[in-house]
Amino acid sequence: MFDRLEFLFGEATMALRRNVLMALAAITTVAVSLFLIGGLGYVYFRIDEYARTLPGKQEMRVFLRSGAPYAQITETAKQIRAMPGVASAVWMPKEKVWEKERLQHPDLTEGIENPYPDAFKVTLSDLSSAGKVAGAIRAMPAVEPAGGVVYLEKELEFIDQAMRVVRWLGSVFGSLLFVTGGVLIYNAIRLTILSRRVEVRIMQLVGATRLTIRAPFVIEGIVQGALGGALAALMVLASHQVFARFIESLKADVTSPPFPLGLALAGLSLAGATYGLLCSVVAVRSPMRLQ
Amino acid sequence: MPSHPPDHRGKRQRAAGRLCHPPPRRRVSNPASPYIVFENVEVRYSPLVRGLCGATLRIERGEFVFFVGRTGAGKSTLLKLLTREAAPTSGKVTLAGIDLGRLREREIPALRRQMGIIPQDFALLPRKRVWENVAYAMRAVGATRKEVRRRVPAILEQVNIGHRADAFPHQLSGGEQQRVAIARALINDPPLLLADEPTGNLDPEHSLEIMQILARLNERGTTVLVASHDVLTVAKVNRRIVTVEGGQVTSDSKSEAPARV
Ligand SMILES: Nc1ncnc2c1ncn2[C@@H]1O[C@H](COP(=O)(O)OP(=O)(O)O)[C@@H](O)[C@H]1O
Ligand SMILES: [Mg+2]
Repeated sequence: MFDRLEFLFGEATMALRRNVLMALAAITTVAVSLFLIGGLGYVYFRIDEYARTLPGKQEMRVFLRSGAPYAQITETAKQIRAMPGVASAVWMPKEKVWEKERLQHPDLTEGIENPYPDAFKVTLSDLSSAGKVAGAIRAMPAVEPAGGVVYLEKELEFIDQAMRVVRWLGSVFGSLLFVTGGVLIYNAIRLTILSRRVEVRIMQLVGATRLTIRAPFVIEGIVQGALGGALAALMVLASHQVFARFIESLKADVTSPPFPLGLALAGLSLAGATYGLLCSVVAVRSPMRLQ
Repeated sequence: MPSHPPDHRGKRQRAAGRLCHPPPRRRVSNPASPYIVFENVEVRYSPLVRGLCGATLRIERGEFVFFVGRTGAGKSTLLKLLTREAAPTSGKVTLAGIDLGRLREREIPALRRQMGIIPQDFALLPRKRVWENVAYAMRAVGATRKEVRRRVPAILEQVNIGHRADAFPHQLSGGEQQRVAIARALINDPPLLLADEPTGNLDPEHSLEIMQILARLNERGTTVLVASHDVLTVAKVNRRIVTVEGGQVTSDSKSEAPARV
């Protein structure tokens, strides 16, 4: 058994060494495609996670028109609390806010009239409905028409767009390269078969089984795919480091969790190996003829 | 390059419950029946090109038979029918009672392990030494390293090439390369040897040497079939000669022998 495997794997390594360039092309393409699909998938997940940790991003300030009647204010509070996506709305009377400000910055507030309007602190339960909630609140009569709703609109928008770009890159380029990588593996295997036609012919002449003749080529495909996957894992690791540093530069108190290198290596290598298996099985299915 | 042999297997051939590589079935138990039978065999390579058109021939176990005839006559096709590199378009080819035309694709390796095939072009691996060439073929049919070490020297000795075991093919003469090809054909201890133009590129002296090696193997009981247009060498060996012309057997020294009339 071991002897048999030794022969088959020996044949496969020989094949790999014969077509190093072709094999490298196949491996790197598979790596880049898996990086784009798997790696950007990871980045996507990380951005999403970052968005969730943004302090105050779930919060919205709603400033009221000065002199809004009391009944209108309570009615507004009721309406806001009833909106889908809103977790709570806390009343923040301008006196209270000003009091706090005066305590914190006595020098700056010295001799100045209270400039703050009455406000609500609205906490969202669902980040994606932020835009809708903000629009609805703006339209309320008690709310200050100009700049009455303040939240991390820019940041949320940026994150949203970053996520869209990542999604797009990953799916479009990823799948294009994925297909290309498959074709390259197929090609590499066909080339190997061609460069080893004497060996194949000898095996056919002496009555080697189909499996013996084909297994080395399939092993070659699996190895190429797995190497591509492993390379992809390293590329994801590298981009993770860059990304983590970027996030930490944005917010000093956020530390990214360590990259799960082992898991990524195993997962991506396995995905690549499976893909290599598929492509090489297709490649060895076309007939290998005597002579 | 031959086109893929036409597949003429009947539906009933695809019976269920077969192993992956079953040994060739021995359908005929009668030991008196001929070893090899070509029965009115036609091979069409394409609608217009025929390799054989109605060849009929019987060969017994232990015979040494030459197929002679000019190029394109159909000698190689006769051998290819036995190795199943070609299949009959019509007619019937049997080997030890097995109808080769009905053999399934996956039964072919087992068939080939029952014979030694010496290809016209030697098909040696240029980067492997003589002994490695033989060892490679043995490994391909499942021999362990140990078996290879044990058997290769004896196999090389059978064709007098043991002294060149460590040479590379390009360091050998044509006759020596041919002997390596014969050695490789012996790895399965085959009862049948098929050689296509084994002296095609050799000078008369080396040609005779190759024929003598084949004759010696034949004397030990191996059935040997040789396709050759080398009439001079064939005449010297003095064995059964089957003449092929235009895809048919036109004369046979055996049937012409007085004893057979
Ligand atoms: N693979 C093939 N495809 C098409 N025609 C072939 C093929 N092999 C042989 N032929 C044709 O079949 C005929 C017999 O060929 P072959 O058996 O090789 O003759 P020989 O060995 O006597 O020279 C020739 O006309 C040859 O051109
Ligand atoms: Mg020929």
